[in-house]
Amino acid sequence: MSGRLLEVNQRKVWILEDGNGPPLLYLHGFADVHSVKENWLPFHERLFSHARVIAPAHPGCAQTEENWDVGSIEDVVFHYLEVVDALALKEFDLVGACVGGWIAAEIAVRHPEKIRKLALVGAAGLFVEGAPIGDVFMMAQPERGATYVGLRSMLFSHADLPKAVEFFPDGRGEIEDELRRYQMLRFSSRIGFQPPYFYNRSLKNRLHRILAPTLVVWGEDDHMVPLSHGETYARSIPKAQGIKIIKQAGHSVHVEAPDLASPIVSDFLTDR
Amino acid sequence: MKPVQLFCWHFMAYPYLAKDFDEKYDSGWVTVPNSLWDNEQAKGLYQEYIDQLAYADGLGFDGSVLNEHHQNIYGLMPSPNLIAAALTQRTTRGKIVILGNLLPLHLNPMRMAEEYAMLDQMSNGRLIAGFAPGGGPETFNYDVPSATSREKFWEAVDLIVRAWTEDGPFAHEGRYYPLRYVNPWPKPLQKPLPPIWIPGSRSASTLVEVAKRGFSYFLSSRSHGGETHKAQQQFAEILAQHGDSYQPSRFGILMSAYVSDSDRQAREECEEGVWYFLKNCLKGHLRREGRQLTFGPGVPYIPAPAWREYLKGYKPGRPLLGDVANWEELDASQSIIVGSPETVYRRIWKIVEQSKAGNLLIQFHIGNLPAELTRKSTALFARKVAPALRDDSLRFFEKHFAVAAKEREAGALP
Repeated sequence: MSGRLLEVNQRKVWILEDGNGPPLLYLHGFADVHSVKENWLPFHERLFSHARVIAPAHPGCAQTEENWDVGSIEDVVFHYLEVVDALALKEFDLVGACVGGWIAAEIAVRHPEKIRKLALVGAAGLFVEGAPIGDVFMMAQPERGATYVGLRSMLFSHADLPKAVEFFPDGRGEIEDELRRYQMLRFSSRIGFQPPYFYNRSLKNRLHRILAPTLVVWGEDDHMVPLSHGETYARSIPKAQGIKIIKQAGHSVHVEAPDLASPIVSDFLTDR
Repeated sequence: MKPVQLFCWHFMAYPYLAKDFDEKYDSGWVTVPNSLWDNEQAKGLYQEYIDQLAYADGLGFDGSVLNEHHQNIYGLMPSPNLIAAALTQRTTRGKIVILGNLLPLHLNPMRMAEEYAMLDQMSNGRLIAGFAPGGGPETFNYDVPSATSREKFWEAVDLIVRAWTEDGPFAHEGRYYPLRYVNPWPKPLQKPLPPIWIPGSRSASTLVEVAKRGFSYFLSSRSHGGETHKAQQQFAEILAQHGDSYQPSRFGILMSAYVSDSDRQAREECEEGVWYFLKNCLKGHLRREGRQLTFGPGVPYIPAPAWREYLKGYKPGRPLLGDVANWEELDASQSIIVGSPETVYRRIWKIVEQSKAGNLLIQFHIGNLPAELTRKSTALFARKVAPALRDDSLRFFEKHFAVAAKEREAGALP
């Protein structure tokens, strides 16, 4: 593992970095590196052959310092502008899943010139009437004292999928995994718990500012961020190349179907 | 030195749920459908509950206790201040304890400062002002972001105290509640300010914040035993670290009681109400069945290092109070004390002796307990249990705490 602490504006940010090629900033979601696993997932590893993948942990996640100034998505965007500067990235590819996808879109509408290519995977961030984003916090509360069926059903196509059970086991999992899950919920509660719930109503009318070719990837059975959100992203971003829907996969497509999701992303990034 | 103070706590549960509620519904909290409310049956319910508190006041209890809950069947007081306002006109002697207003749920804490000041004036200085941050269910009721709720809470508490004790207008430059003109009319009657109680469940950080400010601590646990004793010791240690000393008046605990002529009769009379309370009112809160909202990763209000410590001792699926399988298990939890006056006295005295709590906050109306039985039990307690508890506790507290109290009065301690 190639993790390190990066000093960013007097705060420590935990970063994983691996692979060769143009820089790719990856912003994580709930079932992901930093928010459950300490290390890369197969989805990321498959990108190493043609990209230098850099995955910072969000403020308060993994070993990144908690930041009490973070109270809105705006604050997170500024945090990442500092990260990008600290990494001396002038232009980079940006890939984000779930909440990480929301952050990616918010960065892209503000600094379109920095983004070479953008990929959004089950990204939160939009308000779509009649299609609310699922309440991950309520689902993260245990049922029958010890089970997380509701949480797994929300983040995956099926609660009993082996990957789902591995990422969000019943009872108490490994303490450090539990802690990472908790930290991600705590970070997310700073920006997405108070209504608006994981969205910014102003974002949709700003999406036209994104200049980069954009890929939108969604699980057919996303029970957290409905497919219509992906369709809205794909419709509203000028250079979006439609939406790639992965059949029989849920919200966490990068965990459920890395064999499909990873090549789609790498083909897009390398113009294959 | 005062004897143990005996308060009558009314939760104002919704008592008309059908017998199959537990089978049909996941939770008594947050998502429990409000279509279950029956206006026909519930007509006059608040009046009856207020009457029960006024009755207890007439029996000589030291005060009434109210608290704030939303969207649930456990406690029908989204605004305890409204009930308190009614009590200011229905009672004349006992304290009115609100435990408490849930500060992070409200847009501007000055509204709470103003209402409490009004209540203190309206009650002729009988208010005990409780403040709480709200727990898991309340997080969902009002969409309060968990990560910042504790910080918001203490900023609000400090602002209210300042508004009550300093002359206005002044500006408050806080992170969460910046205000240009803080100038409440009226201020409270009690000077320098009404007593402040803060509930907690043994988190060290809450105990420290309470000790720093000279407030009183109320342990919100519903079961008693070694943990209650530990909480008292922990509080005493933290007070000492802050140059203060433990006094029983600084510590309160919660319990439920039902008194009747004999042990057997007591159990027979209250058993239905008790099970209604345990299985329905606690579902979603202190029960494993359904989704437990009170504590968990979905309401991440404690910082990550404290959560790591919690995880080390966490036993998934451990039974909670509402999971007790039978009466014997319930008895062992020392949560709901049921019996003849002698039995109830003996069992509560043991808890007082062990916990050294100077404030007992006692729930007499349990679940769907009928009104006449609630009054009968309350009256028996006041006449046959309270006098002995007062006498014995006064002797006990004087023996153990009088020296520290004198030093405190003499100015040796803050």
